[in-house]
Amino acid sequence: MNNRVSRCAMFVTPTNPRFIDKAWTRGGDVYILDMEDSIAPAEKQRCRTLMRESIEKAKKGGASVYIRINKPFVDADLPYAVWPGVDRIMLPKTETIEELQHAHEIILRLEKERGIPLGSIELSPMIESALGAVNICELLDATPRKNWSQGGANGYDMAVNLGIEMFADFDQYAFPGAYVALGAMTRNVESVGAVFVPNTSGRVDQSDQAAKQAAALHSAGIQHAGALHPAFIEPLITGLSPTTKETAWANAVIEAFDELTDVGESVGKLNGRVIDTYENAMAKRTLKWASDCADKDAYKARSMTNALADQAT
Amino acid sequence: MNKQSIQPEARNHSNADGKVVPKFIRRSIFALSIDDPQLEQKAYASWADAIILDFTKALGRDWQADLKNRMPAAICAAATGGAEIFIRINQDFSLAELDATVFTGISGVVLKSVKEPEDIVTVSQCLDALEVSRGIETGFLEIDVEVDKAGAVWHSLEIARASQRFGIFLINEHALSSDLGMQSEPELDFDPLEYIKSQLITVATSVGGQALGMSYPLSLTQENVSGDALETAVRRARDTGFKGAVCPHASWIKFCNEGFRPSTDEADYYVKVIEVFAEGLSRGMASVPLEGKMIDVPVDVRAKVYLNWADRAQARDQAKAQAHEKESS
Repeated sequence: MNNRVSRCAMFVTPTNPRFIDKAWTRGGDVYILDMEDSIAPAEKQRCRTLMRESIEKAKKGGASVYIRINKPFVDADLPYAVWPGVDRIMLPKTETIEELQHAHEIILRLEKERGIPLGSIELSPMIESALGAVNICELLDATPRKNWSQGGANGYDMAVNLGIEMFADFDQYAFPGAYVALGAMTRNVESVGAVFVPNTSGRVDQSDQAAKQAAALHSAGIQHAGALHPAFIEPLITGLSPTTKETAWANAVIEAFDELTDVGESVGKLNGRVIDTYENAMAKRTLKWASDCADKDAYKARSMTNALADQAT
Repeated sequence: MNKQSIQPEARNHSNADGKVVPKFIRRSIFALSIDDPQLEQKAYASWADAIILDFTKALGRDWQADLKNRMPAAICAAATGGAEIFIRINQDFSLAELDATVFTGISGVVLKSVKEPEDIVTVSQCLDALEVSRGIETGFLEIDVEVDKAGAVWHSLEIARASQRFGIFLINEHALSSDLGMQSEPELDFDPLEYIKSQLITVATSVGGQALGMSYPLSLTQENVSGDALETAVRRARDTGFKGAVCPHASWIKFCNEGFRPSTDEADYYVKVIEVFAEGLSRGMASVPLEGKMIDVPVDVRAKVYLNWADRAQARDQAKAQAHEKESS
């Protein structure tokens, strides 16, 4: 399934049956099976042994599955994380090229051993420190594997690294957030989150906060976000999908721009707004994203229907 | 559970990369001139964590010889209150100025007018030689950079990586604004240097250093404002990521010393976090609630790192207090 659509990637704890058994019913685009911070040290090994069945559980509703491993335990975690059905490995606190190359080599070996198409599992360096942020371009060039950029702003780890208290009422990550996102865009790599939205309460379960976050990301052209609570899923998916009005406008722009081109013009007006090559490109992007979202939603709906039918029998 | 009952290994906690946060306890930096006849009294009374010594070059005679004669005593005088001592050097004349001013008793130099990484390399090589000739431990002297030129911002990462001696970016907002052609009057309702400040903080942190600065508009006006206004400004500066500020007035120092560190209330909260999380871990839980918030590994790490920061700040205050006692006796 199209991993590009991850409007809401929600973290799930594999060791907690209450979370992992129900995750697929929540409607998320992506579930991130967490082997890192939500797993107590004493539970790490048990978590590893649960990964294969957790992958199957999380995918039942048509979601993609990512796995967040532990930076200190890359060698120990990856053999339990690289299985058919896994779409992406998330490498926390990535700072150096060597860390990414090491993970890439292990994943490549495991892909070979386990009959997984070589290079098909994506790799996401999670930028959670100042060093990771300033190294973003080198990190994204470090391996031939498809990369996704994650982080640069927010998060406890970045806050600790910078020595700041989180949840101030202003953007504390102006440089790392923008720099990581821009660096990713120069590599044609899509980025997850980079727009400041005030959240002085620090709560992660408020749907109105999710809606504000989605609106800010949508305005900034970022289509992907993460979540720690199911209350974020619906607002993020809705807010990061093109609206009917946006797709109608995009269709009208493309039609009008085609007409302009036919008569040798490159700039015109539609309903009082200037349309030009940039508006035309944006409209095409909107329609592509709308199509990808519709495909993902249809796939999830089919998968959900099948899973519910299986459950009934 | 009180703060003292936390085990030493929990209190002496570094970041994931093994570095403590912040690297230096330098909350207040106060600039004084070696020509000031009250240098010793002002330094002693300031309670600044660090003092930058400025100097003038004597006209009509050998200014280097003059400075060499006077600098060791000035360094001693400035250090009577327990502050670390730095000499402010102009990059454009760095080699001659370094030769005239670097002596035992300083922690390093603050370079102004830096434009490119090669400036740092040159100064670092000069310090290598001076450390040998003046009996200073090899590699001891630090190079801090006063950011007052666009070039220092643009090349900030290369500058920070140019030498192991690099320690701190100090933002001279008035000079930098001037170099950028910006108005010197703070008439905006937003900080026009927000991105640059965040860049310098991030870059300095990436090499294990730190950045010092103040929040807008006080960063530009440098006014001697009321305590409440200063407290608010310092809090915002700390939330931005600054670990201290250069104080244009002695009245700023107390507020910087108190504000650029976790407060007593914050330290008490971190103690609770560590306690609650440890108890949760013993029950096999990776996250536990505390006062409506979830405590998990990163929150626990943050509590330990920041508690360590609070302890180090307290130790710094005690060291300065001892220096004062010694001097007064």
